[in-house]
Amino acid sequence: MAYNLGIPKLDDLIGEIRGGTNIMMIGPPMSGKEDLINIIAYRGLADRDAAVIVSTREPGNNVLEWFERRNLNIAMDRIGIVDCVTRTLGFAAPDTENIKMASSPVDLTGIGVKISQFFEHFWMEMQLRETRLCINSLSTILMYSNLQTVFRFLHVFTGRIKAANALGVYVIEEGMHDAQTIVTLKQLFDGMIEIRGGEDGYQIRVVGLTPKPTPWFDYEINGVDVVLRG
Amino acid sequence: MIETGIPKLDGYLHGGVPEGRSLVYYTYPGVAGDVFGMQTICHATSNGRLGVYVASSTDPQMIRDQFSEFGWATENYDGRFIVVDAFSWLIGADSQERYVVSDPEDINSLTQCIKKVMEEMSEPGIIVFESLSTIMDLCGESETLDALEEWSQYAMLYDHALVYNFTAWPYSEETLLHVKENVCNSVISVGGITGDVVFGQYFGVLKVDWADLARKSTLFKVLKPGGIRAYIPKILVTGPFDAGKSTFVHALSNRAVSVDRLGTTIALDHGHVDRKGFAADIFGTPGQERFDPIVKLLSGEAMGIFLLLDSTNTADFERGKRMLEITKSFGLPVVIVANKQDLAEALTPEEIRRELDMPADVRIMPAVAATGEGVFEAFETLVERVMEVD
Ligand SMILES: Nc1nc2c(ncn2[C@@H]2O[C@H](COP(=O)(O)OP(=O)(O)O)[C@@H](O)[C@H]2O)c(=O)[nH]1
Ligand SMILES: [Mg+2]
Repeated sequence: MAYNLGIPKLDDLIGEIRGGTNIMMIGPPMSGKEDLINIIAYRGLADRDAAVIVSTREPGNNVLEWFERRNLNIAMDRIGIVDCVTRTLGFAAPDTENIKMASSPVDLTGIGVKISQFFEHFWMEMQLRETRLCINSLSTILMYSNLQTVFRFLHVFTGRIKAANALGVYVIEEGMHDAQTIVTLKQLFDGMIEIRGGEDGYQIRVVGLTPKPTPWFDYEINGVDVVLRG
Repeated sequence: MIETGIPKLDGYLHGGVPEGRSLVYYTYPGVAGDVFGMQTICHATSNGRLGVYVASSTDPQMIRDQFSEFGWATENYDGRFIVVDAFSWLIGADSQERYVVSDPEDINSLTQCIKKVMEEMSEPGIIVFESLSTIMDLCGESETLDALEEWSQYAMLYDHALVYNFTAWPYSEETLLHVKENVCNSVISVGGITGDVVFGQYFGVLKVDWADLARKSTLFKVLKPGGIRAYIPKILVTGPFDAGKSTFVHALSNRAVSVDRLGTTIALDHGHVDRKGFAADIFGTPGQERFDPIVKLLSGEAMGIFLLLDSTNTADFERGKRMLEITKSFGLPVVIVANKQDLAEALTPEEIRRELDMPADVRIMPAVAATGEGVFEAFETLVERVMEVD
């Protein structure tokens, strides 16, 4: 089991990511992390993997629409979204094929149950062996629960990612947390996708998956294509 | 006694949770243990008990909606379903509830509110905590453990039963041990059969101090609507060609949207039964001899077997017995269904027993699969036997 990010130059540099890898994606607000993590999920779907996306920032429907709007040639029955938003907005939305509702970003028990149910469904019923878990974002979860609580939650689920030979990608907003928080969480991850502001626009690199960090690249997002320069 | 309403569990607990006692659903992360507490309070309130639900991670109105997704209409429990809102504050929302915890991150504030509810309840009732782990996360492990003792004493004073949903995140060893051993009068572990992913869920009693400990595990699944069902992932329906296997499978099966399903093997007939708190997936095998290797394959992991016989077709009885041998390699529970009892030439179950030379403890039950007569009796009999086996 091996994975690609779907970001051409970076994929060449880091080679295939082995199953069971957990990656933190960290960068400033508005740097396109949302698109990037969806693109990583999309890469999996295009490779006939499954993707489970935990959405804490916008309703599950919006995430689904992100994929639908782009007219991608992917099987939608391989996307599972854990929606932590809709019910906090007071909507009594029932679960659908693609979207399972958690009560709130506080409801780590519920989020964990829904993630597990999607993993089970993809593994047992659809016989898919490669699944990506994308959590967007840990920062929201950290707004409602303390670091220790989130650490315990991640400890369990990064472990499950390892056991299932899946790929986990977890978004963190840069600047929202103290250094201690980042250092603590880093222990759980095998590597990082780092984003920073450049001279014009943003730059990206991967750390920890290769002996040395990759160089920084300027990048631009066009649809589901991430174009790297430099 | 306050029944939990969880199939099999009330039997294990000799009727349920006594007034003034406590129970914790000790759940492994990723397993749907939260539904246990939900089902317990809804069962109690719909049976006329007073129920209090302490919401820690869900908006109270959403809680009512969640319950109704399972088919539990809290609005029909007129006033007997009370929510303690320990959530709204966390997301800065206003609360419509009578009981609101002013600061859910402060255990004293929670204790104050819970004591107040206990005092004001007009009769002994049941208090269910949506998530003890969330309380622990917000208020601290040792603070929460201390408070639990206080709540227990208070509950004893007023004869209320306490029920907690607890997700066993990797807290400190001491905390987990404490929850498992000391905090409650009874501990129900709710776990998952894990491999590469969690597939299959079970519960069992770890501790109970008012009854003998039944060391049994019961597989379950969660249906929406419906709730928790004791679950048998695989019951095999075998028998000679034309005995009525397909008819039988269809007569038993009903529709239910399943929330969590165990993976299925390809079979010729497949049905899902949901009846009286029990759910099962049933699989029909082909009857012809040339398919025997397939039958053998299908019988892997089966937990019980129906042998269907056409009660008029004595010529095939030997074949039926042979099929039982193929499938029943490990002494699985069996119910023989004497089908087509509507036909004049049908032998009675006792006549069939003699023909087959079956010992008296093998159940042979009459049925007319074509009309559904007797099929559920056969199902219940087999389920009972399957559930008795550890
Ligand atoms: N009279 C009668 N016929 C039945 C009954 N159950 C099944 N049959 C008929 O028996 C035949 C074989 O049934 P089927 O379920 O296909 O048998 P299978 O080969 O074991 O799957 C069909 O024509 C059914 O309609 C029953 O209880 N009474
Ligand atoms: Mg048939």
